[in-house]
Amino acid sequence: MSVLSKPKPRVRVNQRRKTEQRILIFSLGFLAFLGLFPYLFMLLTSFKNTQQFVDSYWGLPLPLSFENYAAAWGQTKDYFVTTFIVVGATIAATLLLGLLSGFILSRFVFVGRNFLFTCVGLLLMVPWIAALIPLFVLSKDLKMLNTIWVLIVPMIAGNAVLSVILFKNFIDSIPQELFDCSVVFGASGPQIFRYIVVPLSYPIVGTISLLTMINVWNEFFWPLLTVTDDSLRTISVGISFFQGQNETDYGALMAGYTLASIPLLFLFTFLSKHFLAGIQGGLSVSDK
Amino acid sequence: MAIAEKVEKVKKNKSQRKRFKPILYLGLAPLFITLGLFSYYPAANGLTRAFFDWRFFEPSVFIGLENFRTMLGDDMWWESFKHIFIVFIAATTIMWALPLLAVEMLISIRSLRTQHILRTLLLFPLAFPVIVTIYMWGFIYHPNRGILNTALQAVGLDSLAQNWLGDPNTALYSLLFISFPWIASLPFFVFLTGLQNIGTEVFEAAAIDGCSRMKRFFLIDMPLLGRQFRLLFFLATISVLQFGTSGYVLTSGGPDNATMFPILRIIGVAFNGGDWGYAATLSSTLFILTLALSAVILFISRGEKQNVRSL
Repeated sequence: MSVLSKPKPRVRVNQRRKTEQRILIFSLGFLAFLGLFPYLFMLLTSFKNTQQFVDSYWGLPLPLSFENYAAAWGQTKDYFVTTFIVVGATIAATLLLGLLSGFILSRFVFVGRNFLFTCVGLLLMVPWIAALIPLFVLSKDLKMLNTIWVLIVPMIAGNAVLSVILFKNFIDSIPQELFDCSVVFGASGPQIFRYIVVPLSYPIVGTISLLTMINVWNEFFWPLLTVTDDSLRTISVGISFFQGQNETDYGALMAGYTLASIPLLFLFTFLSKHFLAGIQGGLSVSDK
Repeated sequence: MAIAEKVEKVKKNKSQRKRFKPILYLGLAPLFITLGLFSYYPAANGLTRAFFDWRFFEPSVFIGLENFRTMLGDDMWWESFKHIFIVFIAATTIMWALPLLAVEMLISIRSLRTQHILRTLLLFPLAFPVIVTIYMWGFIYHPNRGILNTALQAVGLDSLAQNWLGDPNTALYSLLFISFPWIASLPFFVFLTGLQNIGTEVFEAAAIDGCSRMKRFFLIDMPLLGRQFRLLFFLATISVLQFGTSGYVLTSGGPDNATMFPILRIIGVAFNGGDWGYAATLSSTLFILTLALSAVILFISRGEKQNVRSL
């Protein structure tokens, strides 16, 4: 970090520094390998048929068997379709609610503003389990069980909270001059929303979208309990069902796990900044 | 200047009189209708139903504190809190220590490019769905074909190989070790951003004063991370109370209830036992407990409101 050092024989210090750096890189590389090992093993095993798995547990025997992927895809493709529908609908609604409510709560002064915002914030304190059973009964009364709606609507309610808070905080941080200027030039509320707030909020839009996607992708108990129709299972529950179907066919199982991971891996690789911000739940955003 | 003053005036006037503007409430309506129906109402309903005998297809009857009396005698419920406590200890010690160590090592690397690559690799496991991670670790622990036992046998340590998830003595700890070394985690992020925000002048000053790396860690890094520790403590409390997916998926609370967690007990009571009222009692208790603990932590770390608001 520091370039300042005591006047000592330069060469030796540099040598020692280099060794230190190498040790650090090696140790961290090892830790990274340790963390990634299960997934590497998963990837290798997904290319082995049953015989290859028995013969070569650690290695990667050739030829690669792709039939595992064919089998896994055949059994899981419905789950992907359902999950993408749920993800798309939830993201759209979450963004819309977050942007609009965040804008109103941030930039207008009206009776009950702080109270309403506090009410939204309070929901962060409510663990999902507290509402699980009444929510289940409510869904049953609304005849939503075993439909796509039971997967989407509670997800929107769950994800809208953080969305509103992040958008509000972000819109708070947009310089007031920008709004004053628009008002002076005669822009109306909807115009300000459309031409100033929405375009400036793109970074948060990315964060919220990824956060919502990760949440929907990983949601387990709710779809497990509310949906029994196989084609309506989301990926997390579907994989769990798939696991039960292929108890000992490890190649197919791991191919299924790999398929289930691909969309999130793709996003992590290409949108890692938003992805990481999303996982942090916007901690970094609010820290500033 | 004149315009700015005018704007200032308009702004003041606006903020001075609070107004009812119907259009604003209309704009907020979709949010509050959704939250009201699917968040506030169920949560409030759960708290009320705790005092009812409530089963499917039967009218619910008010029974006062009867459910709470049942809860006091529910050994499985209280035992689940012992397990949660072990999880909590692990979540706030080893699951912080390794990420912190990794962060310290990472920021000591001088090449920014290497730093970035290593950071990405260390965080990469986060990109995998939780359920995949859980099942892969289930496979690692598999008694016959699992990675752990196969590896132990390969190096001649057959005696150490065992049925990790099937033995009540090891099941809970096996679940805790899922996603070891826990570096792809929130603590890693929080520590990393925390230390990166400290500013290099502090570290340079320490180096000039001849502060060793160890000394710097204890005298500078740790105290400056105080806020981060409080934040993580808060998060750990909330998330540990809701711990249980891995227990449900891999062990179903067994063997011998060794991995029973409050969440699993609640789901069991509601969906297998059909006793909705009692399940509501249990979940309300968990809810109140979460609130109480959060309140205590917020009280202790007050003055850091800004950090906590967005959770």
